[in-house]
Amino acid sequence: MVNSRQFLTGSEVFVRAAIDSGAGFMFGYPITPASEILSGWINSGKKYLQTEDEIAAGFALCGAVLGGEKAFTATSGPGNILMQDGLSMAEGMRLPFVMVAAQRGGPSSGTVIYSQQEVILSCFGGNGEGMRFVYSPSNLSELYKFTRKAFNDAWHYRFPAIILTDGYLLKTKGVIDFAKIGEIKNISPRALVPKDSVVHWPNIYTFEEELYQEIKLAKDDFEKVAEDIADCESYQTDKADILLVAHGIVGAAAKEAVDELRKKGINAGLFRPITLRPLARKKLDKIAGQESVKKIVVVESSLGQLARIIRDQIAPEICAEFAYMQYPGLGIETEAIVDFVAGLRVVSGEI
Amino acid sequence: MLIKILIAGDGGQGVQTISDIICQAAFENGFFVNHIPNYGLEQRGGVSLSYITIGDKEITYPKFSMPDILVVLSKQADNRTKQYQKESVKMLNIEDYKKDLEKQSVKPQNYNIFFLGLLAKILVEKKICGEDCVLKLLEKKFGKKENWEEKKNVFELSLNYV
Amino acid sequence: MNDNNQNSPSKFCAGCGHPIVLLALGKTLEEMGLSKQAVLGLDIGCSLLAINFLPINTFHTHHGRVSPTMVGFKKARQDSICLGYTGDGGAYAIGLQSLLHSAKRDEPITVLVVNNTVYAMTGGQTAPTTLKGQKTITDPDGCKNAPILGPELMRQVADPKAFLARTAVNDIKQAREFIKKAIETQQAGHFSLIEFLSFCPTNWRTKGQETLEYLENLKKVFKIGVI
Repeated sequence: MVNSRQFLTGSEVFVRAAIDSGAGFMFGYPITPASEILSGWINSGKKYLQTEDEIAAGFALCGAVLGGEKAFTATSGPGNILMQDGLSMAEGMRLPFVMVAAQRGGPSSGTVIYSQQEVILSCFGGNGEGMRFVYSPSNLSELYKFTRKAFNDAWHYRFPAIILTDGYLLKTKGVIDFAKIGEIKNISPRALVPKDSVVHWPNIYTFEEELYQEIKLAKDDFEKVAEDIADCESYQTDKADILLVAHGIVGAAAKEAVDELRKKGINAGLFRPITLRPLARKKLDKIAGQESVKKIVVVESSLGQLARIIRDQIAPEICAEFAYMQYPGLGIETEAIVDFVAGLRVVSGEI
Repeated sequence: MLIKILIAGDGGQGVQTISDIICQAAFENGFFVNHIPNYGLEQRGGVSLSYITIGDKEITYPKFSMPDILVVLSKQADNRTKQYQKESVKMLNIEDYKKDLEKQSVKPQNYNIFFLGLLAKILVEKKICGEDCVLKLLEKKFGKKENWEEKKNVFELSLNYV
Repeated sequence: MNDNNQNSPSKFCAGCGHPIVLLALGKTLEEMGLSKQAVLGLDIGCSLLAINFLPINTFHTHHGRVSPTMVGFKKARQDSICLGYTGDGGAYAIGLQSLLHSAKRDEPITVLVVNNTVYAMTGGQTAPTTLKGQKTITDPDGCKNAPILGPELMRQVADPKAFLARTAVNDIKQAREFIKKAIETQQAGHFSLIEFLSFCPTNWRTKGQETLEYLENLKKVFKIGVI
């Protein structure tokens, strides 16, 4: 038997998850830091197409899933912008479009390894309403688990699914123990354009009312499944004074920061959204609505993209003050979060 | 136990090669290991950084703001890592060894192997990995290359370096 | 996935060339016994009005994106006959990059380009196929440059086995013959593209015989035949 404990890069973990999900095809265009997914997939002997740009990758992916193939793409930054064209078609036609978005710095070509600046783009890009699932894993084992889940949720519920990560996590080589993840059953793909009957399947409508009906149907479905999909980690939140909110690998640093802060006598807790879309609103409201919570500190490697989502979705009656730690395009280490929160001087009992 | 190592050198000097070996050796010895490479846009010539964390429990965040050990392989890398050069950080800097290495006729392309040995010595003392394991991994990487004996000699020289 | 418009009347303008191309396609597929395997992807523009025109699987894509979508579909279902239906703007302007690369990679799909020398659905703006001197609402003084010759351009990058041709909607016999060849080329594993010179009396502001003369005139610039 293969040893379940392995030392792998994030890209290797993703490729393995895609293979284990039963994906048969990848469409992609080279871009750092997502290129190793394309080369890793090719090296594993799987079918692929290197397209002329990300737009083509996105639409070829739409075509493949219409044909019934479990397929995916991987991109980053400027490529993620172009990918929104195909994603918009996928959203309009409810296609199981699976993509990994490895955030790099922006705007423009920015930097090539890390940021958390593609949150709004990934959640709400395109000319639609953001009806897509967005998962933000914080470590290699979550990257594996939520990639598997993204394929399943996309094909089960028929919404696009995005694994939102970054080059730090994809390039990081770390220890992952597959035995601890356990078995995950795959949802089978099906031919969306049938083989034995005829469909005429529009994505453009003559009348506003027709489009409205389509969006309303999708919205109702999205809300119905939101409870099943929405996921988060809450850590030391019971009666916390300070609630940290962070996602992805910053969420991992924030978790460590909670331990450090508690050692200093600061009563901190963490709400870490695992799905950014849909957000685990009920859980957030329950935690943030505790009387003990005096401050909600949103920590992120962007100028407030996560904060926008949190403020938008949190129950309006929650009156804890917001504070923001924002390093656009920069990594955020545990020590920096500890210093920032300690600097707020809202030590337990002093408020 | 948690030990943070930052290795810095010029692109092409083999920073990632020795990082891979150190990490693999610690992994094989049952430790949690995290390695994140960081380099610029250039395929060659820029500064190549390697952040390594080794611990006896799961590592949550792959980067750190201050290493315990800093390995510097070039002048350029020395400049790039000034922010980490604090008293609390154990430094292994090419500047301190260069004369000796020249005297012993160690070729610049093997400087990374020399530092691999110095690092291995520290990690062996801390029981993070075994000397044999590092040598085995080094041989796996270079054993079939023409200059293997040369590399092996440099490695042994560094292990016994005082 | 609504299909309740199946029996609604054609949405094309009176005198439009699209229904002629679509009927030729439908008849040829029927004759070849391929209606069930056929999948028709539509670009945006007047092409999109073909959504319920033929009794074959049909779906909309985006403007300029029909060729990559059909490339992807073909990868998933190799036994299907993948047809990309587009106007000249979708093919040679916004979608040119993908079209060229589909030809360059010799993707086994068939692209049907309806060339009426204007952006018709949006009201008659200059297209990549607009003739030199032709007046449009975005070139009121007349277009200053020569048009793009699609099949000829594709020939520069396509595999020698790719089938590239141009015909016109006033020659149904040739149109059907080319469609058949294009589909056979796809079945043999190669790229195919047919450009149809087509009527647009609405934007040409022509009537009856004038429309036919306008089309005949186009043939002086756009060479008919296998390219």
